[in-house]
Amino acid sequence: MIRNYFKIAWRNIWKNKLFSFINIISLAIGLSASFVIGLMVYYDFTFDKFHKDGDLIYRITTVYTSPEEVDYNYGVSVPLIAEVKQNLTGIQQSTAFFTAEPSRIMNASFSKAYNTPEKVIYADSDFFKFLSYEWLAGNSESAIDGPNKVVLTERRAKKYFPNRDYSDILGEILIYDDSVSTTVTGIVANFKERTDFTFEEIISLDTGKQSYMQDQITDENWNSTSSMTQLFIKLNDKKALSNVQNQLDVLAKKNESEKAVKYNEYRSFYLQPLKDLHFGKDIGIFDFTEYNADKSILTNLLFIAAFLLLLGCINFINLNTAQATQRAKEIGIRKTLGSSKQQLVFQFLWETFMLTLVAAVLSLGLAAVLLKIFADFIPEGLHFGLFADPLIIGFGVVLILIISLLSGFYPAMILSSFKPVSVLKNRIISTHSNVSIRKGLIVFQFIIAQVFVISTIVVGRQIHFMMSKDMGFKTEAITYVKTPWMDGSLQKRQLFMQKLAAIPQIESLSLGGMPPASNTIHASGVIYLDGKKEIQTDLQLLYGDDNYLNLYDIKLLAGRNLLNDTIQEYVINDTYRKLLGFKTPQDAINKIVGQGENAIPIVGVMEDFNQYSVKSKIEPMALIGDWSRKRYSQFNTIHMQLNKNSSDNWPKDIANIEVVWNSIYPESDFKIEFIDKTIAKFYDKETSMTKLLNWATGLSVLISCLGLFGLVIYTTERRVKEIGVRKILGASLTQLNVLLCKDFLVLIGIAFVIAAPLAWYGLHNWLQDYAYKTNLSWWIFALSGLGIILLSLIIMSVKTISAANENPVKSLRTE
Amino acid sequence: MLLELNNIFKWVNQGGKRIFLLSDINLKIDEGEFISIMGPSGSGKSTLLNVIGMLDGFQEGEYNFMGESVHTMKEKNRSKLYKEYIGFVFQAYHLIDELTVYENIETPLLYKDINSSERKALVADMLDRFNIVGKKDLFPSQLSGGQQQLVGVARALITKPKLILADEPTGNLNSKQSEEIMQLFKELNQEGVTIIQATHSETNAAYGSRVLHLLDGRRDFN
Ligand SMILES: Nc1ncnc2c1ncn2[C@@H]1O[C@H](COP(=O)(O)OP(=O)(O)OP(=O)(O)O)[C@@H](O)[C@H]1O
Ligand SMILES: [Mg+2]
Repeated sequence: MIRNYFKIAWRNIWKNKLFSFINIISLAIGLSASFVIGLMVYYDFTFDKFHKDGDLIYRITTVYTSPEEVDYNYGVSVPLIAEVKQNLTGIQQSTAFFTAEPSRIMNASFSKAYNTPEKVIYADSDFFKFLSYEWLAGNSESAIDGPNKVVLTERRAKKYFPNRDYSDILGEILIYDDSVSTTVTGIVANFKERTDFTFEEIISLDTGKQSYMQDQITDENWNSTSSMTQLFIKLNDKKALSNVQNQLDVLAKKNESEKAVKYNEYRSFYLQPLKDLHFGKDIGIFDFTEYNADKSILTNLLFIAAFLLLLGCINFINLNTAQATQRAKEIGIRKTLGSSKQQLVFQFLWETFMLTLVAAVLSLGLAAVLLKIFADFIPEGLHFGLFADPLIIGFGVVLILIISLLSGFYPAMILSSFKPVSVLKNRIISTHSNVSIRKGLIVFQFIIAQVFVISTIVVGRQIHFMMSKDMGFKTEAITYVKTPWMDGSLQKRQLFMQKLAAIPQIESLSLGGMPPASNTIHASGVIYLDGKKEIQTDLQLLYGDDNYLNLYDIKLLAGRNLLNDTIQEYVINDTYRKLLGFKTPQDAINKIVGQGENAIPIVGVMEDFNQYSVKSKIEPMALIGDWSRKRYSQFNTIHMQLNKNSSDNWPKDIANIEVVWNSIYPESDFKIEFIDKTIAKFYDKETSMTKLLNWATGLSVLISCLGLFGLVIYTTERRVKEIGVRKILGASLTQLNVLLCKDFLVLIGIAFVIAAPLAWYGLHNWLQDYAYKTNLSWWIFALSGLGIILLSLIIMSVKTISAANENPVKSLRTE
Repeated sequence: MLLELNNIFKWVNQGGKRIFLLSDINLKIDEGEFISIMGPSGSGKSTLLNVIGMLDGFQEGEYNFMGESVHTMKEKNRSKLYKEYIGFVFQAYHLIDELTVYENIETPLLYKDINSSERKALVADMLDRFNIVGKKDLFPSQLSGGQQQLVGVARALITKPKLILADEPTGNLNSKQSEEIMQLFKELNQEGVTIIQATHSETNAAYGSRVLHLLDGRRDFN
């Protein structure tokens, strides 16, 4: 029986090549999107599943709650570590480590030092009991139980000591930052499974006390929290959770800062389960983890996949029910030959299944293409090979079955319910309900396509708007170079400046901290007493010399610039001025912010500019000099104005700058950035979202139009006789075209009327997240509506015009 | 007795009026009969055959087939019954275009859950008997009308039905082809198969053992 079904299915697919092609392509697009997105979901949900007692592992993180906002930090204050280790009950294990970013690593046998080794941590001696690594050399007991010891992963060991036996590498000396000396005491295999614990060099914590991290590691302050400080615990059992949380609450309360009550700002410790680590949406993973899975993005992606699949199924349903009359004869005959309704339903489902199977094979190819297209959107470890995973295969099979049922069931019911008599008497007219369902489905398809189109336009405009919005300072032709972190010498920086000044293409120079807009924030809490009340603010600090404002073309509204590099003065921005309650910028001049030795005068007020993407609002800020220069200079970045009319020459200019760099910092890598590029990077997430949306829109429009095309071909072919008669009666080409397209155009119009408010509502909500937003102008809706209508008219005309052009005598004769 | 129709009425409502397609049909048919139904176009021949074949229902009356009352039966049992005992032959052949001659003849066996080796043997016999072995891999569109009807008859016979219902089986054939088919029916009838055919041709009707006349859905005894 199956063989018979198989044959007839295959012959039918082959006979209606065009329709089968449309069905297969539509389903394949939906399936490939689902496969890729399914793969992404699977990938992100299978991180760190292999640890022993993984469900008992928690990370302690910090949450700050104030009346204005909730803030997260995935680190803890250092004194908590000792408390947890000594006094916390209900846990069987704990480990603390500090993520570090050394600048350089050296070894006697290296020909050159390695700059900025990544994924380095300082870990306490419990670390290797907490996570079970496979030891290739050395052992977990003694590897990091004292100062000056380091464990490397296999990968790092191979990089530093190629072609050496692991046991041979033990005993080698590695020197970090020219000063911290360590002996290699162990080599462990990298975790084979997906994990966020991607550390490559694990240095004993005692060593850290001699490194630049010394202050951090020995910090006694309960109220300073750094995301570098990581603390993990393993509960005795699941029930211990609330008990442990209670103890942490007590600790938080006991070591509360004075500010807590006064400003209503509370700190608490939150136990983050290991399974949530990878989805660190508000919290984050580790300082050096770049990829951060986002559940809301994954959900949106799942919706997109579902929509695309649904559109494909609809094409299938529409084309098959439309074609039903052609299958009717076969159905009638089969019934007289003794087929039951179930057998027919099964036969049609089988046919759908085969078609879906062909689509699935095709979609694997498409999936590979999609993975390429979205390479920058997709984490590195996610590759085509994952399709061989049994779980993914299972998912694929289930999906194919569901899709076959979804698209095959309704047509199968319609087809199999034909009565043999009426079929054999040629009295099959598609029943009314089945026509209106088909119409409803077309409307549904075009609603989805239309919503996608409108969203794409609005999102694209919003992002363009943000990226081209005036930041409030100059961004043209300005580059900046950060001097090596390790080399604190101010003389070298000044020498660098002098040499740069000799390059004629550099029109202006400034030494300072970060550019006016960046994703690094320096802020300090300041208090202003205006006589009646205290105004407490987090004031962002911008470091710059006397040419900084000039170079970035930031105007002073009142007062003057800083007198020199080290004088303690503020040039505040207008937002802070308003917050302090001064009516005019002039009123703020010479007022004192802070008290005692921190009392600092406001000498100038500068105009407002955006300190980060225009998504966020402008925060209170002050330009200051390099006050702490004796201890640690904040002036570490050189800002340069290039000639903006000779952008062709910039590569040459940059090469010149690099020559100067190499003469001063021969050990360090040269990295220069343009400020407009830096700003564009604020919108990376939006940019990739646009790309995704563009594709989703393109594909949904494609699928819907393919379906429309199929239906138009079908209806037109059924009306050739009518067309012929009308033509003989004198109908013009346009009249015929209108006649053939009218019904579909009405449906597309209805879809627009429903889609427009839906899209408006969704986009209106989406835009609420942005401080500066584009208008949802009526013409966007009108334009996309017209666009879709025009597109579908073109598609329909391809068929209808040729049908209308046909010689009527021919079509009538064949009848 | 094979089947019996008592006071069968069948009508459709059109514009609030009842249009009778069959009225007061009484009929007894014994096993082994060969009956021809005649009557002008639109007199209800096809309708009557469809009722007998259980493909179509009726509003009033009784229908007993091999001692079972069809009019009280559920759709599902009815189709079981005709699948078991009745074979259909149509004027327009009604072969499945996407299946070869072999597969067309085999299809009824598939619906009767007959195993593959037995199927092979049965189909081979049938191809042999009708002299169409050489055509078994052709599709219906590659055959002449007479050949297609031959396949249609072979398909109707493959399940060894007790009754064959043929609605103008030779309507689309030339006289030589018609004669062949009618000769075939006669042989089958002699082997014991009951045959009811609808026809416009006196010559064809003459093959039957009894002729039944219809006029406007009624039996015409004149
Ligand atoms: N569902 C229906 N609705 C209305 N009229 C119907 C219906 N089915 C059949 N008829 C009518 O019933 C009459 C009998 O039709 P039937 O097909 O049985 O005639 P026939 O004797 O087989 O004619 P022919 O020799 O042309 O095949 C016809 O007038 C036909 O129009
Ligand atoms: Mg008839």
